[in-house]
Amino acid sequence: MWAAKRMASTMSASSAALTFELVAKCSTTRARASIMTLPHGPVNLPMFMPVATQASLKGLTPEQLESTGCRLCLNNTYHLGLKPGQDVLDAVGGAHKLQGWNHNLLTDSGGFQMVSLLTLATITEEGVRFLSPHDGTPMLLTPEHSISLQNSIGSDIMMQLDDVLVTTSPDKVRMREAMERSVRWLDRCIAAHKHPDRQNLFCIIQGGLDLDMRRKCCEAMVARDTPGIAIGGLSGGEAKDDFCKVVGACTQLLPELKPRYVMGIGYPEDLVVSVALGADMFDCVWPTRTARFGNAVTKHGVLNLKREMFAADYGPIEDGCGCLCCRPAAEGGMGITRAFVHHNAAKETAAAHVLTLHNVWYQLQLMRDAREAIIADEFPAFVRAFFGNLYPERQDYPSWAVDALRTVGIDLIED
Amino acid sequence: MSNDTQDDTPTMKFEVLKAAITDGSALRLGRLAFSGRRTIDTPNYFAVTSRGAIPHITPDNVNNHLHTSGVYMALEDCNRRTPATPPSILPPPRHLHHPVPPPSPHLFHRHPPSLPTILAARRLPAVAAPKGNTNTSISIFTSTGFQTLTPAAYTSALATLRPDIAIPLSDLPPTLPPSAKRALRMSERTDTWLSDFHLPSPVPSTSLFAPILPVPLPLQREYLHTLLLHPTHISGLALYSPSLLPSLLALHPTLAPLPRLDLSAPSTPHAILRLLSLGVDAFVLPFINAVSDAGVAMTFSFPPPSPPTGTQQQQQPLGIDLHAPSHRTSLAPLAEGCTCYACASHHRAYAHHLLSAREMLGWTLLQIHNHAVVARFFAGVREALGHGTFAEGARRFEEGYEAEFPAGTGERPRARGYQTKSEGGRRRRGRG
Ligand SMILES: [Zn+2]
Ligand SMILES: [Zn+2]
Repeated sequence: MWAAKRMASTMSASSAALTFELVAKCSTTRARASIMTLPHGPVNLPMFMPVATQASLKGLTPEQLESTGCRLCLNNTYHLGLKPGQDVLDAVGGAHKLQGWNHNLLTDSGGFQMVSLLTLATITEEGVRFLSPHDGTPMLLTPEHSISLQNSIGSDIMMQLDDVLVTTSPDKVRMREAMERSVRWLDRCIAAHKHPDRQNLFCIIQGGLDLDMRRKCCEAMVARDTPGIAIGGLSGGEAKDDFCKVVGACTQLLPELKPRYVMGIGYPEDLVVSVALGADMFDCVWPTRTARFGNAVTKHGVLNLKREMFAADYGPIEDGCGCLCCRPAAEGGMGITRAFVHHNAAKETAAAHVLTLHNVWYQLQLMRDAREAIIADEFPAFVRAFFGNLYPERQDYPSWAVDALRTVGIDLIED
Repeated sequence: MSNDTQDDTPTMKFEVLKAAITDGSALRLGRLAFSGRRTIDTPNYFAVTSRGAIPHITPDNVNNHLHTSGVYMALEDCNRRTPATPPSILPPPRHLHHPVPPPSPHLFHRHPPSLPTILAARRLPAVAAPKGNTNTSISIFTSTGFQTLTPAAYTSALATLRPDIAIPLSDLPPTLPPSAKRALRMSERTDTWLSDFHLPSPVPSTSLFAPILPVPLPLQREYLHTLLLHPTHISGLALYSPSLLPSLLALHPTLAPLPRLDLSAPSTPHAILRLLSLGVDAFVLPFINAVSDAGVAMTFSFPPPSPPTGTQQQQQPLGIDLHAPSHRTSLAPLAEGCTCYACASHHRAYAHHLLSAREMLGWTLLQIHNHAVVARFFAGVREALGHGTFAEGARRFEEGYEAEFPAGTGERPRARGYQTKSEGGRRRRGRG
């Protein structure tokens, strides 16, 4: 504890638009607590970032999103490039001004969306070729174009355009090509970046499930000295064991005083295990998407509030939850009941909005609790309590999580 | 019929602050007070809810950003399976640590406790039922299809939900005007239901606003006579056809002190101004939701701003279509000079983007703004009534604004639940 505090005064690093301050390190695992200061203010790590794809988070006002404690959320470059379009972003003065969000924004490069949404996208050295979803005309997304769009958006963190391949692809040659091309594209992104003084460009480690290739990529990317580093290509259906191995291998090689962002993951177990493995930032559409189907994320697992058993349940969505919806009216909350959500789920948008608010709060609070535990050097106990709440029986703990946590000194089964 | 005692006298109070404001008109300023709720200065309006929610608005935003005086909810929105047992919306608690709190419509709709609630059997406007009403029940449209609701079940629901204002059950045919024979039967049924089931109000905190049927007064003479027999149990009038108001008051001046709630769903501010002149005190306004869903931001105010001197005044639109491409880069508020949350925090370019990307927040912001415009309109009306300038303002409003709202070119929000079923009759026939 003392060591952690003393370390806080010395352990920090700055680049033009980002300061990273390491506040504490878990004495057992590789978990870290830090403060990342961006052009629109400081954010505490580890953290979860909700995804406001089209500059709006599923019906929440920016004010409501702010009430969850969120200080950094995502916009998708591909979507904003289509609507409202780059000319509007330039005219309005960027995405912060467009959506009335005075906190930080992170944008992806647009490449992943293109490859996953458009079946006809093909990748060449020049960039990603695709057919316009508007009129079918051939288009090309280059590293330069992606950065130009993200410069117009004005995001506090921009992501490089990378050559994304599903990690499960068996084609080693293609995987190596994608990894090496991603490094070359990073150089083009850095050269094209017009505002390094007020926007941060993060690199993305590629290399599939091949740990050796991942290590090579880490080395090449770290040499480019971007203010932050992402581990990419991991949201595509690989085995959880493989996922943990890749995260673990990369975090061991990454510089201590830079933020580490694992892209596209959001299940609570994945977040907790990744934090133990030394990752700091995460994003995923799952918590907000699942809200639309009446699912509430809670410490005891996901509850589908559309089920008949909740029709007469006048308890809060989650007992003890501090979100705006679950807090009783006497404490300034809405006092939303499970019965209210049940009654209106899939019928009135307001029910989806309150569940979205709750789920985003849950994810952010999970990371806030993890951070507090790291600072108090009680993170292993936090991890045990987390899995204990989720699975009443130890034999039900997922083996990938048990195995991954063993590599960083936590044994969930034998304690 | 019990005697009128202190105990079952409704706790709502209506006070006329200023009456007969212009010669021969029924216009008036008033105040509607409920114990434990916000006091409503009249003329004013209530927001329409759908399944207890003001469409697109979460309860925190209702509290923080919506300036509505109260909410209107329909019992047909509350039922789950069996409308014959209204407590189905408040079934026995299963959550051990959270027993059912004391009955209140707020338990159901979760809006701020300060907001008064009007409960009626049916939505406004209601979907026409395939089967007509009977001597002992009306047809209602629930989330599981058409069902029947008896006056006894409705009374029991009132006792459970304890709304501040309840509209007793009335026999309304799907198409108006009804034949004289049908009109007489409407009157008879409504009369019987009121006398046998609804009077007196099952709970003193619920005030009954007696429906005035949309048929000529002579055809509902008996029913009106029943109303006159129970002056202490009828706290207000609910008007499905407010044009009857002048002759009703001329015929029965003793009804004049009662607050008058319009249920004819006017669709423009012009229509509201005309109804105000007939003596309406409060409105339920479904058009606000419809205008928001159309992507239109209201831009009218009362009294209308004076045109610059020496200029020929052109008629102004009642709203602007934010889906129109001209707003793509506009950093102006949704409506010039508006200080609502949507206008203070956002601009037309964002609203336009949200509408064109079909993001739900677009309709949320429009609802917040449009409710603010309507709330300000009524505040302007009350002020003009206080200063004696209403007639002048109404004349200039009529001249100064276009007759209808712009249509709105944006796609509407995805239809959900109730909205996916337009007219009844095709679906779930025989279930009711
Ligand atoms: Zn909650
Ligand atoms: Zn406004």
